[in-house]
Amino acid sequence: MMTFLIRRLLSAIPLVLGIATIVFFLLSLAPGDAASFLISPNITPEVLEQIRANMGLDQPVHIRYLRWMSAMLRGDFGVSLTRNQPVLDIIAEILPNTLVLSLCAFLLAFAGGILIGVFQAVRHNRPTDGILSVVGLFFYSMPSFWLALMLILVFSLGARNLWGWPIWFPASGMTSVDYPFMSPGEQLRDRAMHLFLPSLSLALVLAAGIARYVRGSMLEVIRQDYIRTARSKGLSEFKVIFKHALRNGLIPVATLFGLYLPFLFSGAVLIETVFAWPGMGRLVVDAIFQRDYPVVMAGTFVFAIMVVAGNLIADVLYAVVDPRIRYE
Amino acid sequence: MSFRSLSAASALGMTFLAGACGGVDQGARSLAGLPQFCQEVLPRVDAYLSQFEHPSGERYGGTAVIGSIGEMPEGMNALVSSDYTSSQHQSFVNLMTLVDFDPSFQPRPYLAESWEFDQEAHELTFRLRDDVFWHDGTPTTAYDVEFTYLRVTDPETAFPNGAFWTHYVPGRDGVVVVDSLTVRFSVAPHAEFMDPWRTVGIMPVHLLRDIPSPELRQHPYGTRCPVGNGPFVFESHQVDAAWSFVRNPAFPKGLGGPPYLDRYVYRIIPEQTTLLTELLTENIDYLVAPGPDQTPQIEAARMLELRAFPFRSYDLVGWNARRPHLSDARVRQAITLGLNRAEIVQAIRQGYGEVANAGVPPFHWAFLEGIRDSLSYDPTRAAGLLEEAGWVDRDGDGVRENADGSRLEISVKYNLGNQQREDIAQIMQAQLRPLGIAITPQVVEWGTLLNQINTPENRDFDGVVIGWVTEFKIDDHDLFHSEAANQPFGWSGTRDPELDRLIDTLQMVVEREEALPLWRDFQHRLIEVQPYTYLYHLERLAGLNRRLQDVELDARGEWINIKDWWIPADLR
Repeated sequence: MMTFLIRRLLSAIPLVLGIATIVFFLLSLAPGDAASFLISPNITPEVLEQIRANMGLDQPVHIRYLRWMSAMLRGDFGVSLTRNQPVLDIIAEILPNTLVLSLCAFLLAFAGGILIGVFQAVRHNRPTDGILSVVGLFFYSMPSFWLALMLILVFSLGARNLWGWPIWFPASGMTSVDYPFMSPGEQLRDRAMHLFLPSLSLALVLAAGIARYVRGSMLEVIRQDYIRTARSKGLSEFKVIFKHALRNGLIPVATLFGLYLPFLFSGAVLIETVFAWPGMGRLVVDAIFQRDYPVVMAGTFVFAIMVVAGNLIADVLYAVVDPRIRYE
Repeated sequence: MSFRSLSAASALGMTFLAGACGGVDQGARSLAGLPQFCQEVLPRVDAYLSQFEHPSGERYGGTAVIGSIGEMPEGMNALVSSDYTSSQHQSFVNLMTLVDFDPSFQPRPYLAESWEFDQEAHELTFRLRDDVFWHDGTPTTAYDVEFTYLRVTDPETAFPNGAFWTHYVPGRDGVVVVDSLTVRFSVAPHAEFMDPWRTVGIMPVHLLRDIPSPELRQHPYGTRCPVGNGPFVFESHQVDAAWSFVRNPAFPKGLGGPPYLDRYVYRIIPEQTTLLTELLTENIDYLVAPGPDQTPQIEAARMLELRAFPFRSYDLVGWNARRPHLSDARVRQAITLGLNRAEIVQAIRQGYGEVANAGVPPFHWAFLEGIRDSLSYDPTRAAGLLEEAGWVDRDGDGVRENADGSRLEISVKYNLGNQQREDIAQIMQAQLRPLGIAITPQVVEWGTLLNQINTPENRDFDGVVIGWVTEFKIDDHDLFHSEAANQPFGWSGTRDPELDRLIDTLQMVVEREEALPLWRDFQHRLIEVQPYTYLYHLERLAGLNRRLQDVELDARGEWINIKDWWIPADLR
């Protein structure tokens, strides 16, 4: 197993570098550069040229690429052209925000999706199965940004201003402005309250998809002979389902894990925008629009690593849930 | 039971994750991870300010929160700053300018307590206050002003508003420190020569003198640890999330003393609906520039107040007069006459704006009352001008052709994601169709659009819906002067000797009375040449929580009197 993991990691190095190279040259094909966004009648052409020179944008693309690549290999991702800070500092500040949001959404999505999927499989063809299928499809087909706005209107604006609910959730940010003056307990609560709506927005859509997979997989498993045997031994239904059936039923979920993990880092951009969550997706998309190539490149690098890591984790999970799978 | 356990486990996991990132107290000055420069200067700020008692009184206390869609990319670094919000924070929050403008837009003392302009000797001399200190305790002196001037006129700094200094003598020859509180500049007499000193925040020489000019833009001073001398002291900045400032207890009594607010937080919320929700749920006190479509909700909320004030920006359709079918001024005039711009202001801005005919805003002293009704909606006159220019619908298909059979088809570009500009392009299409002008709205990604309109060799557009923000000193040289036709902002390619003469002369006339007739001629000539279809001067909107008292808003900006804002004790 260890040899397999090391081999996969080593093979990922050229992959990540290749992705970074392609993205660099694709970005250089886009019209304009970071300096061209400075538009004011007071900015003279000479000043614009000097800004370009100060940013290093006056060099040919291959020179910029070689400089970027050699600096990156030394661990230097350069300085953001629009935020005027070292890219590594920005990512060090932003990445944990994305990790917290993504992992919460992941936990909610997989816990919720698996439980609903199992429940539907057990209640196959009963009204609750049908209702959950419709509800699941409703969330699955819903654009996440729209869902996010609806959640804000209900759980933030409506809950506070219209219906006077005892609990309502903040619509944006990671903490309240009074956070520094709160006790540790209040700080924890404040963080959880701010985390709730964005992670729910992400998780609901994912959970609906996961539930469909789990339902289908479990339906196949619970019809098999060994499940019938377990029941005939007199085991409780809970043990039959969660101890014997679920492990096999989770094999396709491991694939989903590998697929969804990178999506959560790059695909949360709309949720991050709606909830003003300072995360990687928003950072990189803004950087693309502003032609801030050092940030785009660093973001691509992080996303590429996430894709590789996601696939690697999925491979490991296969082995965990299916003892027949052994990696040499 | 098992379902409950799993839910509990996931809730526990969520709480754990929530706590995992709660390790760093946002408010406490944490130096971990900051650059060396910041680790050196910030403790000095804390040590100096800790000596001062904070004032007490009915008005003192509370935190005001402003929400806006944009980050301040250059932060508090006035040497490289070009965006409006950063500039406002530099001028009124964290730094000080030599002068500021009073409500009638006349310069008044701020960091400089007096000034004198000797026209004969071409000398402008400022005398500084002696009671202003940087937030680390170092006095603010003429050497700071000299340093700021040397850096903004150094080509290597690439100070964005380089046009400010066109008539100043750049570099060391242009500035003399007479004594520690007196500084003198060499400057040719010209219009609005004080305007740069209202905008450019003075920067600390003792902290930045060793930084090479090309490195200033990316220096941590701007976004990680600015040390100002203004009414608010930098507290923290979280990228894409918030800036926070606290009261400067040492702000001079002669300038009103320390501000009333304990803290001021600028929050970045990129989604307009979320911003409005935060205002309605009282999580922010002040929403900067809500959309006109959001005004009914703000007006309906008892605790909120909607304010509208004239601003220095206008929207326009820029014409590429190099294109054969737009090269005749009569065609451009006909387009403007064929547009019901009053209706556009009503539809797009809900009436928060005024039809424009030139770039001089209505509140400006050079504004010409007489041009308000120029080029008002008049389709009959528009049709006459088109016919006069040889554009007639020869084949009866509803679109005019010229003698060569070329159809009067014009594409109008706008940037992706800008709903107002998209609506304008579509309204143009509908309003000009009966006149026989076929408008094709075309959406383009912002960076690509800038490239298409600003690249002199390219200019891949007929018309573009766009906007400008002006300064109080209006200088249209880079827009309409012949010398600018092949420069980035010479979109129209205008080459008009009369406009050139007026632009050149206007910049050198010091006295406003003397300049007024020239401004009148300039605006009339602009209407004749019609390089743009000016649409409207914006009225800027603000959504305010009523607990925030004494907020002044006008064309000078949103933060002009932030040091005077206060919150009643029972509403903090």
